[in-house]
Amino acid sequence: MSARELLPIAPAAEVGRHAVRLLRERRRDLILTVLFYALAAVAGLVAPRLLGVLIEKVRADSPTRTIDLLGLSIAGALLLQALLVRQAAVAAARLGEGLLAQVREEFVDRILDLPLSTVERAGSGDLLGRANRDVAAMSRAARRAVPSVLVAAVTIVLTFAGLLLLNPLLALPLLITLPLLIPITYWYLRRAPAGYLRENAAWAQVTDSLAETVEGARTVEALRLADRRRRRGDEDVAQAYAAERYTLWLRTIWFPSVDFGYMLPVVATTAFGGWAYLHGWATLGEVATAVLYVQLIIGPMDELLNWLDEVQISAASLARLLGVADVPSDREPTDAEPVDETLTVRDVRFAYAAGREVLHGIDLTIRPGERIAVVGPSGAGKSTLGRLLAGVNAPTSGSVSVGGVPLVGLPLDELRGRVALVTQEHHVFRGTLRDNLLLAREDASDDEVRGALRAVDADWVAALPAGVDTEVGPKGYELTAPQAQQLALARLVLADPHTLVLDEATSLIDPRAARHLERSLGAVISGRTVIAIAHRLYTAHDADRVAVVEDGRITELGSHRELIATSGAYAALWRSWHG
Amino acid sequence: MTMRTFPVADPGDPDIRSAGRYLTWLAVRSRRTILMGILWASVWMVAQALMPAAVGRAIDAIEARDEQGLLAWSGALLGIAVLIGFTGTMRHRNAVANFLDGAFRTIQLVTRHASRLGAALQRRIASGEVVGVGTSDVDAIGSTLDITARGCASIVTLAVVAVVLLNMSVPLGLLVLIGVPLLMGLVSLLLRPLHRRQNAYRDLQTGLADRAVDIASGLRVLRGIGGERTFGARYRRESQQLRVAGVRTARVESLLEAAQFLVPGFFVAFGSWLAARFALDGRLTVGQMVSFYGYAAFLTVPLSTLTEFADRVVRGLVAARRVTRVLALEPGVTDSAEPVAWPPPGDLVDRSSGLLVRPGVLLGIACEDPQDAPALADRLGRYEEADVLYADVPLADLALADVRTRILVGHHDAGLFAGPLRRELTPGDGGTGDLATAVEVACADDVIDALDQGLDTEIAARGREFSGGQVQRLRLVRLLLAEPQTLVLIEPTSAVDAHTEARIAARLAAHRRGSTTVVATTSPLVLDTMDEVAYVEDGKVMAVGSHRELLATEPRYAALVTRVDEDARDAQDAWGAQGDEGDEGEESA
Repeated sequence: MSARELLPIAPAAEVGRHAVRLLRERRRDLILTVLFYALAAVAGLVAPRLLGVLIEKVRADSPTRTIDLLGLSIAGALLLQALLVRQAAVAAARLGEGLLAQVREEFVDRILDLPLSTVERAGSGDLLGRANRDVAAMSRAARRAVPSVLVAAVTIVLTFAGLLLLNPLLALPLLITLPLLIPITYWYLRRAPAGYLRENAAWAQVTDSLAETVEGARTVEALRLADRRRRRGDEDVAQAYAAERYTLWLRTIWFPSVDFGYMLPVVATTAFGGWAYLHGWATLGEVATAVLYVQLIIGPMDELLNWLDEVQISAASLARLLGVADVPSDREPTDAEPVDETLTVRDVRFAYAAGREVLHGIDLTIRPGERIAVVGPSGAGKSTLGRLLAGVNAPTSGSVSVGGVPLVGLPLDELRGRVALVTQEHHVFRGTLRDNLLLAREDASDDEVRGALRAVDADWVAALPAGVDTEVGPKGYELTAPQAQQLALARLVLADPHTLVLDEATSLIDPRAARHLERSLGAVISGRTVIAIAHRLYTAHDADRVAVVEDGRITELGSHRELIATSGAYAALWRSWHG
Repeated sequence: MTMRTFPVADPGDPDIRSAGRYLTWLAVRSRRTILMGILWASVWMVAQALMPAAVGRAIDAIEARDEQGLLAWSGALLGIAVLIGFTGTMRHRNAVANFLDGAFRTIQLVTRHASRLGAALQRRIASGEVVGVGTSDVDAIGSTLDITARGCASIVTLAVVAVVLLNMSVPLGLLVLIGVPLLMGLVSLLLRPLHRRQNAYRDLQTGLADRAVDIASGLRVLRGIGGERTFGARYRRESQQLRVAGVRTARVESLLEAAQFLVPGFFVAFGSWLAARFALDGRLTVGQMVSFYGYAAFLTVPLSTLTEFADRVVRGLVAARRVTRVLALEPGVTDSAEPVAWPPPGDLVDRSSGLLVRPGVLLGIACEDPQDAPALADRLGRYEEADVLYADVPLADLALADVRTRILVGHHDAGLFAGPLRRELTPGDGGTGDLATAVEVACADDVIDALDQGLDTEIAARGREFSGGQVQRLRLVRLLLAEPQTLVLIEPTSAVDAHTEARIAARLAAHRRGSTTVVATTSPLVLDTMDEVAYVEDGKVMAVGSHRELLATEPRYAALVTRVDEDARDAQDAWGAQGDEGDEGEESA
């Protein structure tokens, strides 16, 4: 269900340090938020206090003028409180939005810096989860949880201070709730975050399964999977139900306990206050004010406790967002300058995991401008070889170098200018078609963009409503897989590296169109070195040399004609292909 | 309270004539928890409303130095505190039960209906709309049922508070009872601009989240070709726009927040003053002054709950409308009312193209226009109404279930479902084929071997972790396991390498020899293994024969499948190959 966690997670200490740093960088907003809320809380304490005074004045049969003045003062205090709350809310929003923007921007910068090999290996599941779930969790935290917790804490502290100022004796009953609230909340918080995460995951599963059923509705009908899909849906519902039951159980224990815990001080203050009045230790007005104060504190206490689990969850999310930065770099850039564009592979061995070698000693020299086709059965190591040739992975032993410099020793920008890799994996980015092309070269002119599209036979662009400025992707014009692949190749034309590694880069395009495309593409990138990993034999036929890779070794190497003449595996395949 | 256990065996037969009827139908399903929820919530909210009264009486007792009264009223307060804690939990449990009943029942209904509709679903409605049911609509519907308890309790509580206040003092009571709703109404005028900004904010937020996901999922492409800086800058720009929009939204939100202090504040101040004047005259006690203060502050709770109630019902209706639209969809092809029994094996004929599929023959179809192949397959499998005969019986006269069991069309875009691979490879009726054999025929052993737990590995939705070629082979395994009488495949090997394609072609032909099999492809490796091949141009069968016959007799067929055409010469120039020109003659031969 959830993607494997392949990327690191930041340790708690680092998360703490980072949170402190983030807050420190927004010191001004932080101080303003706390200050305004504090002032608002103080203003809020004035009204009950004045009510107490009012009571005393009424009992003393004061003139109506005093009563009127007090009434006006109460109104003034409440108006002031409302104004301060408004200022505070704006300051809190500025703080929260700022925090959030920084967290998400840093996260995106971090993923853009991830080493190539990590991106290749980790796949997108874990990363997508972080970009989606964890950023959303942080958003709730920064916009709601952090300000709410701040406000609540400030209000509680000030109200308690208000009680102490009013009459220290009347502050005592408030404390009797702590032995109840603290342990039960501790108990709850130890279980709640895991419970709610499980609940969210279970609901996500419900949604995913429904999406699968809908998107695969045709397969469901063809293979008569309706019963299974229904069962699957029911299983997901059962999981979500179990998760809901668990958190409901937690709340069934916690809710009444804390509700009672909030109200206990009201009862205690009333009884104790009355007793204190009878003994002459407090005035009636003070008792009334104290009772109102402990009622006033219920809201903030509830806010504080309710947001605590959210804060815990968001700390976990922040750890995952920060963790991306902990991926060690896999490149050791040196200052060495390649002397030419010759690609040299020397006795290269490679294993993704120790003991599972996929390439067993590859030697190959590719001259500048040469076109090499790599063919061979699935799983023979062709794509791995392609990745090594593009500098995505470093060989386990041996070397892959350009002009005498190992590829992993070239800085990333430098490497990109020399070698580019296009695989059959294609991705259309949100934005216009032009946006999608310009990422390969920001300063490309209109003519260059059009030229690149022409080079990949993308005639369909002309038929689009807004041409290259048409919005593409899920919200705009949806490109077909072949069109997306053409787009990928057009980017390559714009990037114009010296060496191109094409791993099944035309596999999704209709076979005849693909050949035509490869030819027109060839016209544009003439003079470039091309390594084409292909399953269609005409690609091999059209190339300068063909390397047949079987079982992690190059078993045949030569021009199409030479290989046909040797009657090896390639020749056999060619003949069956040709009939 | 005993909560109904989910999933239920049968979610029932919903009333889908309108959104309101659907919601009512759901409410009737959970009538018990809805009634109990209203009951508990009413007790809970009234108890909260009575707190100020009890506090006021206690203060009066203190003032009268009535120790007995103080004890009694403190005891009453304690009782109310316990009551609030208990009833609050009970109303919450019932509200959750209501939410879950509405949400789960809707999910079950939609899942059942979607599975029943099959292919028609995708034609009739955008899949995003159905998926939206699973994400937001279910939530909205659940929330509507959830709030019935508190919503109705608010009305009860308002009535109780009105009686208490009017009993205490008619002018004060009227002031609060008329004034509070009035001011709340004024405040709600703020809601419209707020919602507008919130919606704008949410749109930007969704856009930005999509952008992040976009970057993460396209990262491998970016790493291959560059562009990180462009994307980093774009993200930063949009993120800052969102930040500014967030602060703008907060400016309106903060007004609302301030109003939440101001409205009760107005009554607290005005009321306290008026109450104090009345108390001076002896018309009110001091305790009543304190209770009045409490009531004024408390009244916003039932009133804002009522606003929320109205809001959620509106949202619930919108969501229910979408749900009923999905539930009202009908299958795409109508099943024959009086189906004819399945005839003994005969020819499958598509009259519009002139295609003839003879029983027990492996037939290759090479379509000049790639669009023709899926259209032809749809007709053969009766995914659309067409003039197709099986053993001289129109397909439309046969039971649809029989057609589905006997003629299996494997679509090239069919994905895999999440779950243990072994189960997900098995067709719905279990399939009669042998898994090991099917895996061998489809050359999928290496795909399975590479998985941690082989066939028992849990695979992700849509087979995301597999490459195109791997998914294609797994899909073929699934189709082979079904062992249908007639198997129709569309480009089953387009994404695998030539070595593997050759192996699959040979094994597939050997495996299906004697069983009717139609393969739409332009691969010469596959076509060569077929008993006969039909060449289709402009939706019509132009020639039929063996692959080799057609190669020799149909130049356009030869051009199509061997892909050697007139511009081969350009290619030589373009690729700058060293003197391959000589090959051309031997190729076209």
